[in-house]
Amino acid sequence: MPMTSVQKDTKSAATGLTMKVESKLALVEKKDSLNRHCAIIKAEGFSFYYGSKVGVKDITMDVNQCSVTAIIGPSGCGKSTFLRSMNRMNDLIPHTRAEGKLIVDNQDIYDKRVNLVNLRQQVGMVFQKPNPFPKSIFDNVAYGPRLQGTKKRSELQQIVEQSLDAAALWKEIKDDLKKSALALSGGQQQRLCIARALATKPRVLLMDEPCSALDPIATGRIEDLIEELKSTYTIVIVTHNMQQAARVSERAAFFCLGELIEYDLTSKIFGNPGKKQTEDYITGRFG
Amino acid sequence: MKIVIRNTFDKAFTILTALSVIFISLVLLGILGPMIWRGSGAVIFKGTVEFRKMQMDLFERGNQDVLQNEIVETDTVRKTIFETINRFKKGIDTEALCDRVRDIHREFGQELRLKGITGQEYSRLRSITRDIRDKLEVTFESQDKKEITKNIEYVLQFKKDERFKATCAEELFQIALGFQKDIAKIDLNKRKQYEEDLIQIEQTLFGSGEIPGLLGPHPDKPLPALAMNRFGATRWDQSLKLLDKLLWIEEWVEKEPGKPLEKVRTSRKEKFAGTDLEPLFSSVQDNLEKILKPRLTIYWQFFIDDNFNSHYFGGVGPEILGTLLITFLGMLFAVPLGLISAAYLVECASDHFIFRMIRMCINTLAGVPSIVFGLFGLSFFVLFLFPLFGMPSKGCILAASMTLAILTLPVMIRASEEAIRTVPQTYKEASLALGASGFRTFVTVTLPAALPGILTGIILSLSRIAGETAPILFAGAVAMGPIPKSLFDPTRTLSYGSYDMAVGDRISMMVPHNQYGMVVTLVILVLCLNALAIGLRSRVFKRLKGH
Amino acid sequence: MSQRKLNIALEPAAAKYRPLALTPSEDLKGYIASHLGRAILFFITCSSVLAVLLIFFFVIREAFGFLTHFSLLEFLTKTGWYPEAQEPKFGALALIAGSVYVTVASLFFSVPVGILAAVFLSDIVSFKIRGFVKPVIELLAAIPSVAYGFFAVLVLAPFMQKKLGFPTGTNALNASVILAVMALPTIISVAEDSISALGRELREASYSLGATRMETIFGVVIPAAHSGIIAAVVLGMMRAIGETMVVWMASGNASQIPHPWWDISQSVRTMTATIAGDMGETVKGSDHYSALFSVGVMLLIMTFFLNLVSEYFLTRAKKALGK
Repeated sequence: MPMTSVQKDTKSAATGLTMKVESKLALVEKKDSLNRHCAIIKAEGFSFYYGSKVGVKDITMDVNQCSVTAIIGPSGCGKSTFLRSMNRMNDLIPHTRAEGKLIVDNQDIYDKRVNLVNLRQQVGMVFQKPNPFPKSIFDNVAYGPRLQGTKKRSELQQIVEQSLDAAALWKEIKDDLKKSALALSGGQQQRLCIARALATKPRVLLMDEPCSALDPIATGRIEDLIEELKSTYTIVIVTHNMQQAARVSERAAFFCLGELIEYDLTSKIFGNPGKKQTEDYITGRFG
Repeated sequence: MKIVIRNTFDKAFTILTALSVIFISLVLLGILGPMIWRGSGAVIFKGTVEFRKMQMDLFERGNQDVLQNEIVETDTVRKTIFETINRFKKGIDTEALCDRVRDIHREFGQELRLKGITGQEYSRLRSITRDIRDKLEVTFESQDKKEITKNIEYVLQFKKDERFKATCAEELFQIALGFQKDIAKIDLNKRKQYEEDLIQIEQTLFGSGEIPGLLGPHPDKPLPALAMNRFGATRWDQSLKLLDKLLWIEEWVEKEPGKPLEKVRTSRKEKFAGTDLEPLFSSVQDNLEKILKPRLTIYWQFFIDDNFNSHYFGGVGPEILGTLLITFLGMLFAVPLGLISAAYLVECASDHFIFRMIRMCINTLAGVPSIVFGLFGLSFFVLFLFPLFGMPSKGCILAASMTLAILTLPVMIRASEEAIRTVPQTYKEASLALGASGFRTFVTVTLPAALPGILTGIILSLSRIAGETAPILFAGAVAMGPIPKSLFDPTRTLSYGSYDMAVGDRISMMVPHNQYGMVVTLVILVLCLNALAIGLRSRVFKRLKGH
Repeated sequence: MSQRKLNIALEPAAAKYRPLALTPSEDLKGYIASHLGRAILFFITCSSVLAVLLIFFFVIREAFGFLTHFSLLEFLTKTGWYPEAQEPKFGALALIAGSVYVTVASLFFSVPVGILAAVFLSDIVSFKIRGFVKPVIELLAAIPSVAYGFFAVLVLAPFMQKKLGFPTGTNALNASVILAVMALPTIISVAEDSISALGRELREASYSLGATRMETIFGVVIPAAHSGIIAAVVLGMMRAIGETMVVWMASGNASQIPHPWWDISQSVRTMTATIAGDMGETVKGSDHYSALFSVGVMLLIMTFFLNLVSEYFLTRAKKALGK
């Protein structure tokens, strides 16, 4: 049967779209292959134990610069453990032990002689529940730079403004930086925490389920922010929300029961996963 | 059991528990109420002119001119009282009269010799005056009016004698005449009793060596040495009590044999009915306000002034100073120790045996009785540590405050620990994630967040230390003594002073307003601190919930 | 989606300014600093340990002289306390009995009222009213002991003597009543904490079976919280037995065991009052002095023991909740 004009239009439109999608994929693949050479975080057989319990086992993966990497998986699979290992926040928990290598910027951070202060300033973290200090907005954001030794008011002022701007919060609160940070809404607080983390000029930004305590509108704003930030910062985001992972990330790692099951381009993980476990999780058969 | 009975029991139980709380509140009111009421009398009362005189004399306070005017006004009214008494006394005070008569006789002899009269003339004249003297002495002592009249007339016959004119012997006749007039109104049988009563009345009005009187010392007598005896009733309530003592005689009388004695009051006015003294009572009673000029006084300097004569006059200034010194110095020791210990216990402690031992020691310290702390303060600080450093081994502010610091250490540690634990862990995490060291995190994030709770603990410790007496009994507190000049001097405190005044000597009992004033000052100080802490704690509560 | 230009200044600084590895000297410095810091903090924290040890050591040391010269048996079992006599006698039984007597008597008043009040606060009344009542209890606890003693001697004693016809106003009853008032806040707060900590489930289970509130409280709540309540009572005892000023002023200070034993209107003397009262006139270093310290040691031992008991019951209460 010959095609109607509508059908013809649709087909050509569909072809065009497919072409667009295909070219976009090619671009991403190209960028990814480039970035792979500039992996800023490399895990090589990394394992982490809470006493005798396994947190994560034998993880080997690279995190590329200036990209967004998502870590997904069911509860208790070690996502947060792995994330928090990257800036050694797990040290706060007693009786823990790490094996293997976790290299950040060519330095194994579980080496004996690691400058934790510098590490944490370069690898910033945003937590699940917004946790601004009970201080003013200005003091919250200026906290990091002050630690780094910046004392002059004018310099701090500039850094605070830039960080808040980068976190898309400046316009909303620029009139009253002295206000207590606890007076902001949930979404604003989380953006404040992002600004605070950015103020130390990190290279990597770790985000541990940053939107799980926020409403959809605030979530959307933060996802937009991530999109803007990824050109300058490397972002690793742990999320329960698969759709969010699909929206914001370029690469995704699927963890399950402490092991890295699959790590690939997001499009591939969500479109055509290699492992059956991954597919089962994506399609919702468990988790 | 039937449901009705069970429900009744239930309701009764509810009421019972409510009653227990009501009972407790009533007890609190019952203890605080009277004490505060009586204690406020130390600061707010009706003060008389005597009070203002005392303030001017002892503290150099007040308007000199106004006071002078008041004194002049009151003196005019008092004069009549003095005169009434004097007049009455003349008829009663026979001993003085006898003395005077004897003196005149002697003086007359001297006068005669001066004039050059000697020999027979001298002895004759002197024998007459001797005769007069003897007769008058008998007359003064006599209780028989007829005899008195006869003797007086006998004496007066010599008045006409020319030789006695313009000599001091004339006074003899004046005395005789005066006496005759005075005793006309007196019932001589009661004279002895009048004499005794008069002594009491004079004591009530002018004071004795032990108890001050209504009007203060008699203007004709020399000023007493003790400040408390130099003034009359300084307070209106005091004056009313003395007035009552003046107007009524209280006696213990056995109304029925075998039964306990009962108090009976008789009016003094009735007793002196018909005498010269009778108008005195109504005069004093009606004119008391004019005599004393009572006025509402707010003696806020009570909290600044030192005291005179074992707190008879004055205030509790040095006691407050002593309490504040010891308290704040003690906190100066306890706060850093407590805070650092609490910080360490929260941040660095594990379940290790040594930490359990530390906690056990803190608990033990919290349970040691306060008097044992006193023993410790004495045996360790005063008798051991001070000599070790070459300091004199006596109680002083330093020893007392260090003892109190150890006493309150567990309280500080517990309060600080609780405050630090309440700070959410997420702040610490956020700070560490930004690259701060543990120490930095604690100082810049945890501590400021815990500050309100710590402050509450500090204030509660302050209030506890301020009220403690037993630990400082042997280590630095004295009941009387000069204002301390250095940390190595002992000091008076509100707590020890309150004890001293409660069980103290009769002077304390004479000034209940000062007794209660001291203890109420302490109680109010402590309660204000506690109220401050409670208020702070509720603000902390609000802040932790977010604005 | 707008692509905002990020300020260049915000771009990550070059890595060489912030090396991730520590130099050996930095490492060493950090190690020393953190461990030295911890050590200093540890020693400061041990100040409380030091304080306790010093207290025990010095009080026992001063008592030593007495305990070696005089018979401990006589100290504990005889009632004749005549330290200034020609032949001094140091029988402390009357003093120990006095302390125990007023403490136990005060418990008669404070335990029932205290538990009832604790129940009232935890079960019967709303949160708001609780917020009003708790400060009242705290105010009661805040009043200094010398003020209570003042009240006892100047208000309560004359009242007892004049209105109630007692031979003397300062006696065991006076002291016990005031001690009861002082122990109340401790008992109420600890008991209330224990009862509240039981949680709603326990009570809901009882109510759902048809019990009234009183039956729930007596049948379920109080038995479940019994460890905490016992701890509260023991802590109240500690407060009463260690109190000095009130008993010094209000108990009459007659070194005797009341005769007959239930006559609470007689004067007694407690250990604390003896120490406080005698010390002023005692020569430092004399036998009397050592004897007073021995009484202090006795007090220390008794309160330490009570402390252990209360700790035991508090731990038991916590464990019971943990299940």
